[in-house]
Amino acid sequence: MGIYSFRGGVHPKGYKELTADKPLVEYLPKGELVFPLSQHLGKPAIPVVKRNDLVKVGQLIAKADGFISANIHSSVSGKVKIIEHRPNNAGIMGESIVIINDGEYTPFEGVGEKTDYERLTPREIIDKVKEAGIVGLGGAGFPTYVKLMPQKPEDIRWIVANGAECEPGITCDDRLMQENPEQIVEGLKIVLRIFPTAKAVIAIETNKPKAIESMRRAVGNDPRFEILELKVKYPQGGERNLVHAVSGQYMESGALPASLGVIVDNVATLAAIYKAVALNTPLYERGLTVTGDGASNPGNYIVKFGTLASEFVNDDEGLKPGTKKIILGGPMMGVAIPNTDVPLEKRNNALTCFLEDDVEKAQQKLTNCIRCGKCIRVCPLGLYPQMMAEAAEKKDYERFIKVHGLDCIQCGTCNYACPAKRPLTQLFKQMKPAAMMYQRAKAAKEGKK
Amino acid sequence: MSTIGKDSTLKHVSSSPHLRDSITTGGVMFNVIIGLIPLTIVGIGHFGLSSALVIIASILSCMVTEYVFDLICHRPNTLYDGSAILTGLLMALCLPPSVPLYCPVAGGIFAILFGKCFFGGLGQNFMNPALAGRAFLLISFGKVMTDYSYDAVTGATPLAVLGNGGSVNVLRMFLGLEMGHIGASVICIIIGGIWLIVSDTISWEIPVASIVSFIIFMAAFGEKGMDPMFIAAHIVGGGFMLGAFFMATDPVTSPMTWSGQLIFGCLYGFLSAIFRCFGSMADSSTYAIIIANLAVPLIDLMPVPQPFGIGKKGASVIPSVEEMNAPKKSGIAIPPSAIVLTLITVVAGGALAGVNMMTSERIAENNLAKALEAYESVVPTADTFEYDDDVTAQIEEMKEAGYYADGAFGKAYINEAVQAVDASGNVVGYAINCSSMEGYDGEIALSVGFDTEGTVIGISFTTLTETAGMGMLVDTDDWKAQFANVKVDSFTLNKAGGSTADNEIDSVSGASTTSGAVVNAVNAAIDFYNNYLIAG
Repeated sequence: MGIYSFRGGVHPKGYKELTADKPLVEYLPKGELVFPLSQHLGKPAIPVVKRNDLVKVGQLIAKADGFISANIHSSVSGKVKIIEHRPNNAGIMGESIVIINDGEYTPFEGVGEKTDYERLTPREIIDKVKEAGIVGLGGAGFPTYVKLMPQKPEDIRWIVANGAECEPGITCDDRLMQENPEQIVEGLKIVLRIFPTAKAVIAIETNKPKAIESMRRAVGNDPRFEILELKVKYPQGGERNLVHAVSGQYMESGALPASLGVIVDNVATLAAIYKAVALNTPLYERGLTVTGDGASNPGNYIVKFGTLASEFVNDDEGLKPGTKKIILGGPMMGVAIPNTDVPLEKRNNALTCFLEDDVEKAQQKLTNCIRCGKCIRVCPLGLYPQMMAEAAEKKDYERFIKVHGLDCIQCGTCNYACPAKRPLTQLFKQMKPAAMMYQRAKAAKEGKK
Repeated sequence: MSTIGKDSTLKHVSSSPHLRDSITTGGVMFNVIIGLIPLTIVGIGHFGLSSALVIIASILSCMVTEYVFDLICHRPNTLYDGSAILTGLLMALCLPPSVPLYCPVAGGIFAILFGKCFFGGLGQNFMNPALAGRAFLLISFGKVMTDYSYDAVTGATPLAVLGNGGSVNVLRMFLGLEMGHIGASVICIIIGGIWLIVSDTISWEIPVASIVSFIIFMAAFGEKGMDPMFIAAHIVGGGFMLGAFFMATDPVTSPMTWSGQLIFGCLYGFLSAIFRCFGSMADSSTYAIIIANLAVPLIDLMPVPQPFGIGKKGASVIPSVEEMNAPKKSGIAIPPSAIVLTLITVVAGGALAGVNMMTSERIAENNLAKALEAYESVVPTADTFEYDDDVTAQIEEMKEAGYYADGAFGKAYINEAVQAVDASGNVVGYAINCSSMEGYDGEIALSVGFDTEGTVIGISFTTLTETAGMGMLVDTDDWKAQFANVKVDSFTLNKAGGSTADNEIDSVSGASTTSGAVVNAVNAAIDFYNNYLIAG
């Protein structure tokens, strides 16, 4: 396979060199831990522990509520302090389980027990993934076991391990691929047991030659595996583009990759599958990159869920003076937080600190749209952001839907490239749910007639 | 709040993305200005101080107008986006070098107010402000705006010479050393254009599409077909190249999608070629771009986006295991829209070229018959008309030098001179075809008949496209009779009317420009008769 690319995309300034050489270090939390009940896409989980209950590492503390939801496990041993509303990383208060760490890290029964996955049936593998509370660790947090249960499992042709890591600055997946490539490969092998006719494709941007090399070595001569090199640009890790890269086919809007015979999972998710299935270890920790020009100790950490972000960066330590912005996640799609009193959870892959706020600076240079068409040229989906924005500003839902505004993935590429500094992505984020409601209401009305 | 942590100072929050590219609107405008610097320097170097004054006046006028407008309308000051400077500079570059300074000032005010501010400022305007300003000046101050003389150098612009069938020095035009507007150096335009494309300020679609379509349509409609020198002269002449790289590519007034930009470029090239070949003015790139600008909202609505994967055929076909393992076909996929566009262009161009080829012979025959008819009407006693090779060569030489007698008769040319011979072979007189470029609508061409004594027998128009009911009234027997059977050294125009002297011609009421042009042309013919036909 050659190096895959797509039409559009941008090259935001990368600063991966800040952390690319920093190995993943296990971080042990000092203070209390906060487990939001919503760390995934779908319904929040339901607590199964009470105040003052004793819990151990890997113990289930909240169980999935319904099909699209996920279990939550404790990452430490200790005592449940309280279940109450705490600020979460969506910037709102959400119900959370607060646990006091006893510092012992006593494992729960059975956690860490080796299992020979070769003997498991597909159904058993899926159940284990579900029990372990694994969700997409790329950032969306979609429950992984749902992805592993397509309507026609025999039609799945490709399992894609997404190691593109195209967000500027983040290197935790890169480090994972370098340090524990066998976890990812084993994870893929486990998934291949569910889909025996499928091929495994590991997609990596070419700016991570060490990761590519390391993955090649781990894969060895296994003919079921392939390494797909991706051109360096944002947003190379987009699901639709990856599906096109491996299958040569275009994903219809609203379709799942599985309808084209593809399943896409982040490399970290695959490693988590391996740990859940082969080591009986639920998902309670993950890789996190602390980076940005405002971070005084940039690095990669293995973080136990529930650890407060303030343990890494706060005004007294970890931050350079004058840091203006802290982002949970990467700078392109991450969420800016006013302070770091929020717990780190399943979807957080980075903590990015900036001395300068580009958005603030851009606001001072805001002009009318000059219709330069740059947003159109960079959109990875071939949308017309300028026309979508026009429709969004007028709240013209019909037009917004007609120019395929609902297909926007809010990757921020157009917003980044815009010389007039229009807040395009923000407009789409507001407009998309409204337009979807409009569409549903209209469909319901027409249904009545 | 249950937790107020150690981290007490709140950080900025905003919607993602949190990074922005460094390019700004001002940066885009600044890039274009950088691209114009070589052109400006060469222009000032060639045309001298007066051109520098025109440029400064134009830029200042634009900036002050925008500033005052923002102030009066309580709008935020928008000078920092740099578009006013750019508008001023661009407009100055397509003005004659020694135009009176009230022109750039008035043009700047019009360009900024009517071309931009009244529509809601930068981004909302539907036509290029600089060209709006220039069009306004062309209509308002037609005379000074088409007077390209500078530093006492007078003559015809290369395009005017081309329009009259003369030949021009393409290399000098390319370098910008001929007469013309300030920004005439094509080599500098190309250097600036390449900078714009390399710096990602403009995309290649508009310049390439417009140049290609201009060449195609020029070959189809131009009187010399595919003659490379003729086409090259037209490409480097006038404002076409400046338009293709700097005006048509104005992001605000051009389409946003690449297919739209191709259509837009083709439209500009097509209109420019049409105006060059059939229009009344030598250079009408201004109008070509403005008209193409008007089509932009429509062009932008045409292509509904085809997002990644939407509506692709066979989108949910899953290959069999064998198919999956078969080697993949590779190849460059050409977007179907590109093929369709190319086909449309080729078919349209071909059809037009075909029609032109079929009709061009007929048109040429008609023109010849018309000329002959005119000669016959001004020397009725003649049987045949003969060319004298020496005289013809002399005329060609004078044409290349510029206006007849260095502009002593205004912008006049001698086109042809023939000997009138009667049935028995005696020379009974001469007929001279001459034209003045100073009609109200450009060129007026006419034939003047002389007997052997130098008495004017009569005149007859061969090209006359003046205003109906006014200028066109010169083509009446009564008015033309004023020239008949008079032997004078020159005629003078009597604007008041009621002339009594032989050499006085009454102006057609309300059409003194047309009348004056005719008198000038006839005087040029008399001068030519006296100095070259009889003396020579």
